[in-house]
Amino acid sequence: MRTIGIVFYTTILMLIGTALIIFSLIKLQPQDITSILISLQSSLSSRLIIGLSGILLMLISFSLAQVILGGLQREKTIAFNTASGQVTIALSAIEDLIRRLIGIVPEIKELRPYVCATKKGSIIADLKVVLKTEVNIPELTGRLQDIVKAKIQEALGTEEQPFIKIHIMKIAGHEDRDRKRKEIEKEEFPKVPFTGYGVRQN
Amino acid sequence: MQGEAGQIKIHKNVIASIASLAAAEIEGVKAVGGDFRSGLFELMGKKFLWAVGVEVNKNEEVRVKIPLVIKYGYNIPEVANKVQENARISLEKMTNLSIKEINVNIQGIEK
Repeated sequence: MRTIGIVFYTTILMLIGTALIIFSLIKLQPQDITSILISLQSSLSSRLIIGLSGILLMLISFSLAQVILGGLQREKTIAFNTASGQVTIALSAIEDLIRRLIGIVPEIKELRPYVCATKKGSIIADLKVVLKTEVNIPELTGRLQDIVKAKIQEALGTEEQPFIKIHIMKIAGHEDRDRKRKEIEKEEFPKVPFTGYGVRQN
Repeated sequence: MQGEAGQIKIHKNVIASIASLAAAEIEGVKAVGGDFRSGLFELMGKKFLWAVGVEVNKNEEVRVKIPLVIKYGYNIPEVANKVQENARISLEKMTNLSIKEINVNIQGIEK
């Protein structure tokens, strides 16, 4: 349905675009447009057809917009039932939970999680990570996967293993190196106290 | 609801307030709300009225939907269960209504 919507809107926009190009190239004279419009308005049947087509187009457009927007607005949640009712957990809540882990692993400078759930209900966490220093990546990612897995299982109270994908976007070690270099420079050329006082000559 | 001297009507907002306060009592609950709708009405100063959704059917059975933000470090199903139990107890005790469902919707996790 979404593909139909995209095709529909693309066709409409293409038609409008083509009409505008034709108009700009003076291939279509204003009097031609006027005569077409007059001929269309002249008979009752053509007016009826145009009016009905307009209504149909509006209805199609409205329903397609609803389908497309409905798909976008659909909340991503995982749910389970209890004796009192249903508990739904927004996947963004799990993303919040993962984002909090940044404090636990000091090597991580930035952590951007994206969580999705499969139809069977299992969780897939896709983590985009910026590392602080040059660390052993396999060791760190393995540790991070274990921590995230354990945290999700602990918070959701499930035995099911979530699937954790890690993508290291950047290693931000240069800032630290620059800072260290500045510190060394400071140590090598320490500030002499009471400097910067000029001798005033009258 | 029919009382001895006449009819007693309980507004949905009252049910929402009871459920909301009962949920807030549970340890591990950071806030009631957190979804888009309650955020919008919170901005307008109507905090309690819109956070909790209440539906009452023809048989006077109540269905409550509670959006929650949970504190970091707590077990979500455990907190959700406690919220459901406490909300049910409070609503049944205070309103005598039959509670059909209490649906908890976890919207976020905060410290």
